[in-house]
Amino acid sequence: MSAVSELVAEKSIVTEPQAGAVKLTMILSGAVFALMMVFGLIMRAAQGQLIEVDPALFYQLLTAHGAGMVGTAALSGAAIMWYFCGRHIVLTAGIFWAFLALFLLGVVLILGSIFIGGYGGAWTFLFPLPAMSGGAWEAGAAAAFMLGYVSIGVGFLLYYLELGRQIHARYGSLVRALGWNLILGREDKNPPPPTIVAAAAVTIFNSIGIILGAAVLVASLVHLLVPGFEVNALLAKNLIYFFGHVFINASIYMAVTAVYEILPEYTGKPWKSNRLFAIAWNAVLIFVMAVYWHHLLQDVVMPPWMLVVGQLVSYFSGIPLIAVTAFSTFLYVRGSKMTWDLTSSLLVLSVAGWAVGSIPASIDGMISVNKVMHNTMWVPGHFHTYLLLGEVAMAFGFMAWLVRGKTIAQMSGLDRVAFVTYLAGAAGFVTVFLFSGAASIPRRWAVHYEEWLMHDRIGTLFSVLIVMTTLFFVLRFVLRLGRSNG
Amino acid sequence: MQPIVLLISLILMAALSLVFWLATRASNGPEPGPNANSKRAGLIWAMTIVGVVVAVGSLRPWPHALASTDDAITVSITSGQWWWDIDTVEIPAGRPINFSATTEDVTHGLGIYTSDLRLLTQVQVIPGYTTEVSYTFEEPGTYQVLCMEFCGVAHQDMVNEFEVVAVEE
Ligand code: HEM
Ligand SMILES: [Cu+2]
Repeated sequence: MSAVSELVAEKSIVTEPQAGAVKLTMILSGAVFALMMVFGLIMRAAQGQLIEVDPALFYQLLTAHGAGMVGTAALSGAAIMWYFCGRHIVLTAGIFWAFLALFLLGVVLILGSIFIGGYGGAWTFLFPLPAMSGGAWEAGAAAAFMLGYVSIGVGFLLYYLELGRQIHARYGSLVRALGWNLILGREDKNPPPPTIVAAAAVTIFNSIGIILGAAVLVASLVHLLVPGFEVNALLAKNLIYFFGHVFINASIYMAVTAVYEILPEYTGKPWKSNRLFAIAWNAVLIFVMAVYWHHLLQDVVMPPWMLVVGQLVSYFSGIPLIAVTAFSTFLYVRGSKMTWDLTSSLLVLSVAGWAVGSIPASIDGMISVNKVMHNTMWVPGHFHTYLLLGEVAMAFGFMAWLVRGKTIAQMSGLDRVAFVTYLAGAAGFVTVFLFSGAASIPRRWAVHYEEWLMHDRIGTLFSVLIVMTTLFFVLRFVLRLGRSNG
Repeated sequence: MQPIVLLISLILMAALSLVFWLATRASNGPEPGPNANSKRAGLIWAMTIVGVVVAVGSLRPWPHALASTDDAITVSITSGQWWWDIDTVEIPAGRPINFSATTEDVTHGLGIYTSDLRLLTQVQVIPGYTTEVSYTFEEPGTYQVLCMEFCGVAHQDMVNEFEVVAVEE
């Protein structure tokens, strides 16, 4: 009881810096999530031959959906982490606005390159495909797409520079913010809270990821403009997947700060940093960068030890996630007498979805399994699990919390229906993908064979449920924001 | 192999989901007891041991090992947007085949399928490199080659086939 009242007291003194910028970002994120889901629905329906979509358009939608979703997951994660870091350190508002402006400039360039320029080389822009479209798009369109990435990347680097700078100012060093005093058992009067540990780790690995991504972007851009300039395709692929893997993972590692900061309001037990927590985050920092080789398990000319590391780290990354994050969530929830409203339900779901989605990923991370699962629908199956039921659930949970008001009440009828429908839709949707993967259906095929249509059609049905409930969550957020501001 | 992988994955996913569901049910129950953290330590050890056992078991023999016996046959496959060229039309059943693949343009993915569309094995085909994968066909019949790496607007049309024939000893 006293813990609860203390927390409530604490809540009233925590400032809510830059809430306006963060709310605007969440509106944008919600709207783009919804739009990209509609693109996803169109692709799924096209694969099921319920509607007719020309392959060129299909691959444009695929490119927009991939880049748009990854970008929006990162954007919403960044907004969440900025918001909660603001409870512990002072961040410059101007940097966030610059970040948002560069992000939007990138979105304009990317959408233009796809829907005006016809670029459809997928969000992974695998070298040298952007320069060899077989007549589907011009070099200029590919260049615009990459400049869009560069703009977003520069925005993120500014964001992390500011975070790193302010963490350094408040905690003395990034090493201390990573919890090394806790790990070494040294006394620390001002130990970094979980949000800061997360922010320090993400700042380090995502900055490295973006810089290596920038390197391969520049090389690809030069290749587009100067045809004689060759890049080693395998090296480029390593850089691209390093960047892509780190970047999409960073989005969840940023968004999880919502769980650390919001769940305590419900359970009455603050989420504290301790030795295990710090060790887990330091392991994540290394794992997230070493695990990208699991994308290259069928590139048999890679040095074998890298593939072995890819397989091992795919599995061992599951330990901090399941034994630390998920297990701690059980402990926080158990006996907490917490109220299940939309916010708390979505946040607990997000940890579950993230952990459950890691299972098919680590199994596919085995080289022998990967031989028959790589680039089948198994892969969208596992990453949609931890994105739809993980990152996106965190973002929707955060949005519901922003408009919750002071009193916490059990979920109302409509919220409950939406929550259950979202869960059922997403779970069904990803399960179909996993079945499709096991049925050897390749991913990224615009046109499907007769034998596969049943999968696609059932998947389409589940997609409709997700799109409907997403529209509900986003509209609910916008309407309540309007009401509370007006 | 795929049905087993699917089954194991679904069971583990369902089990973890069940634990989460039970934890939310238990929010009204008693608080976690003092030995919760020793349970966690047990979990970490269990996951570590399972991981080591599975790793050792699944990496030996090396999954990418090529057939090196005397009766192994090499089949060369060249590829490009959007075609496969296979230098052997009739491949003998029962003998290890080393497929050796190259590309003239972008990255492709050599996926070898049965006629009823079950993926048997695959390897990435990377510009500037020759990549190899081994497979022994037990059953004569028609097999298909599908592209497994997105390679542009006609990626889904990049297919071909070959015959596996029974040989008399
Ligand atoms: C209603 C919800 C959604 C639907 C119907 C949907 C549908 C699809 C479809 C049909 C594909 C292509 C599958 C293939 O390879 O054949 C795809 C790929 C993908 N989706 Fe989604 N999706 C949804 C939500 C999401 C969300 C929330 C995210 C991320 C936050 C996401 C991220 C991606 C990514 C990164 C790809 C890979 C693109 C590529 O292969 O280049 N999707 N999705
Ligand atoms: Cu191809």
